[in-house]
Amino acid sequence: MLSRIGRLSSAVLAAALVGTAAPALAGGTLTVAQALDPGSWDPIDTFLVDWSKVANNVYDGLIQRGPDMKLVPGLATSWKVSDDGLKIRFELRKGVTFHNGEAFDAEAVKFTFERLLGAEGAKGPQQSNYNAIERIEVIDPYTIDMVLKKPDPVLPTKLAGYGAMIVPPKYVAEKGDAWFNTHPVGTGPFMLDAYEPKVGIKLKANPNFWGGKPKLDGVDFRFIAEPGTEVAELQAGRLDIATLIPLSQIETIKGQQNLDVMSVPGPTVVVLRFNTKNGVTKDENVRKALIMAVDRETIVKEILLGQAKPIVSFQSEVSFGHDPELKPLPFDPAGAKKLLAAAKVAPGTAVQLDIRGNDATFREVAQAVAGYLQGVGLKPTVKPYEVSVLLNDIIPNGKTGEMFHTAWGGWTFDFDNTAYLMYHTGEKWNPYDSDPKLDALLEKQRSITDQAERLKLLREVGAYVANRALELPLYNLNTFVGINKRVKGFVLPGDNRYRFTDVSVD
Amino acid sequence: MRASRFSLRRFLALELVLGGFLLAVMIGGVLASGWLFPDGGEAMDLKARLLPPFVRAAHPLGTDPLGRDVLSRVVTGGWISLTVGFWSVLGAASFGTLVGLVAGYYRGLAETLLMRFADVQLALPFILLAITFAAIVGSSLPLMIVLMIVSQWVQYARVVRGSVLSLREREFVQAARAFGLPDPRILFLHVLPNAFGPVLILMTLNVANNILLESSLTFLGLGVDPLVPSWGGMLADGRTYMQTAWWITVFPGLAIMMTVLGLNLVGDWLRDNLDPTAKVP
Repeated sequence: MLSRIGRLSSAVLAAALVGTAAPALAGGTLTVAQALDPGSWDPIDTFLVDWSKVANNVYDGLIQRGPDMKLVPGLATSWKVSDDGLKIRFELRKGVTFHNGEAFDAEAVKFTFERLLGAEGAKGPQQSNYNAIERIEVIDPYTIDMVLKKPDPVLPTKLAGYGAMIVPPKYVAEKGDAWFNTHPVGTGPFMLDAYEPKVGIKLKANPNFWGGKPKLDGVDFRFIAEPGTEVAELQAGRLDIATLIPLSQIETIKGQQNLDVMSVPGPTVVVLRFNTKNGVTKDENVRKALIMAVDRETIVKEILLGQAKPIVSFQSEVSFGHDPELKPLPFDPAGAKKLLAAAKVAPGTAVQLDIRGNDATFREVAQAVAGYLQGVGLKPTVKPYEVSVLLNDIIPNGKTGEMFHTAWGGWTFDFDNTAYLMYHTGEKWNPYDSDPKLDALLEKQRSITDQAERLKLLREVGAYVANRALELPLYNLNTFVGINKRVKGFVLPGDNRYRFTDVSVD
Repeated sequence: MRASRFSLRRFLALELVLGGFLLAVMIGGVLASGWLFPDGGEAMDLKARLLPPFVRAAHPLGTDPLGRDVLSRVVTGGWISLTVGFWSVLGAASFGTLVGLVAGYYRGLAETLLMRFADVQLALPFILLAITFAAIVGSSLPLMIVLMIVSQWVQYARVVRGSVLSLREREFVQAARAFGLPDPRILFLHVLPNAFGPVLILMTLNVANNILLESSLTFLGLGVDPLVPSWGGMLADGRTYMQTAWWITVFPGLAIMMTVLGLNLVGDWLRDNLDPTAKVP
């Protein structure tokens, strides 16, 4: 009885303490590590995920995409696409101000897109994603029309990130581009506190954020390029979230009481594509045999420790165009041997796998794949290349061996981007194949905005490619971070574009 | 009597005994690897990955991330290292010695051209050269050996030229010249044997150095096919497992260390015994 009273009174006391102290102490600071310093925080200058990890907290787009990949209102409260798909009307949010006190209105939107599509945007990598936009028409201070040159079914998604982030017109005009690169100002939940190039960037809470004041006082990003160092810092308690951790360290991190690993399906998909023009892989049946020879389930389970899922076509489960009905070729070494024999491929035939030299995980996977190919009597070799040589010379110029490593991760989660660049005739990533039927499918889905019809066409593309065995589908890698358990309310988005508005720390 | 005791003590020096023993173990293992491990260390078993050492009799030194036996890979992996080490040194020493002999003996324009060319060569950092070439023509074992020869012949050329400069003025060479012996005969039978001591020492040290270079290049992903066991490649494979599975990196690391140590010790002994000015204890 006595103890209960004691406990009760201490609880009351604690409550009283919290009640009085909370407004003053607020949420504390969250420390996050990421690999790279993007160098410029201007939305039109970048295509790095590490830019978005930070900048998604500073800027807002007209549309937002949450961790569940659903599009929700951002700076626009609603939007409507016209029937011909050539005009989108946005109703803008009222009473929003930028971090510098400047008001957000239609002129800011107009300025942002004119800057992106004009001469300044042409210098950066973002413009090409938004080329479908012709101009912005201001209807009234809080209504705009986005007029398009041609329909772009993926545009609403693209408005939720990167180049389409709304920037303050007066600030950019007054301070100039160079200043803006290192002193970003947006409308988001956090604003710039201090930026030290190559070391880190500190953000502090924006008390006037339109979505409510964030729970945290600030977020402290540190740039740590070496995965091992990030893990060590996390273990030492100097980091709350480590975004770059090696697969092999996951169990070590989980083993520590105050730490955990969060993992969700990510955008990165990995395949070995075939040289369909030369060598034994010219034959569709040989390609199928090679696919059947490799036990992808075991590779995912044993080497990737379950942090990935086998795929059937070159996209993840959350990608628009994924077909749950599409079934992979089974793991069947005996069947593969039969197919190889029927195609008159002699045992001991050499098969070369070209891979990126710097990817430690894939180096293991490639060796495992080679092991399985040995299992059906082939003689595989693995050839590591310097990354830029592989991507800019060997693949585009069609100088690969029988198979080559391709990893792709589009943040839009729409199969269109991947499929068009991989399978359409004449594309950089398609040095070997030319298929009129596939070209027609790809072009058709780009010209329509009816999403149900597009989904059907994209699924058809996936099935067609699987049927022709243009690639050996491997896996979709998870996005995973190491996290200190004192962090509360953090939902890991698969695309790694964080937003810490509702996060708090103990 | 005195002479034989003297030479016996000379051959019982710690450097030679220990160095020779280490080399014999490593080279013997590599030569016998084909018979000891018929699968060449390539048999994979994903279900038995990352087994610790001294647990299962089939895998005395444990298994790597793909379930391959670490012991057989360490032993078989020596092939690459030793091949690279010996061929690159043989190539560089032959070419460098020839250049040094010609430059030192004939002097004049030939010397100026050859030695300035050597200076240019010395200004090229090896790893940069290797990365550039591997990027352009793709990496392979012969390329690596050629690159090492290209970057190391200069050392031999300089050492030999230095000796030849003083040797060419010595009485026995003058006598040979006076007898009218043809130049090649003078160079190879009279000058070279007297200049060869330092070259031999440099060779043993460079074999060790090149084994390390090969390992670093393979570690950087620029060396041989990752499927072929090699010490550098094993280090690269095990790098991310350092905290959880130390045996993947420790055993190939030990193999590199022992081979290099053995070569250095033998080189040390050779230096002590071939250098006429050094006192033999």
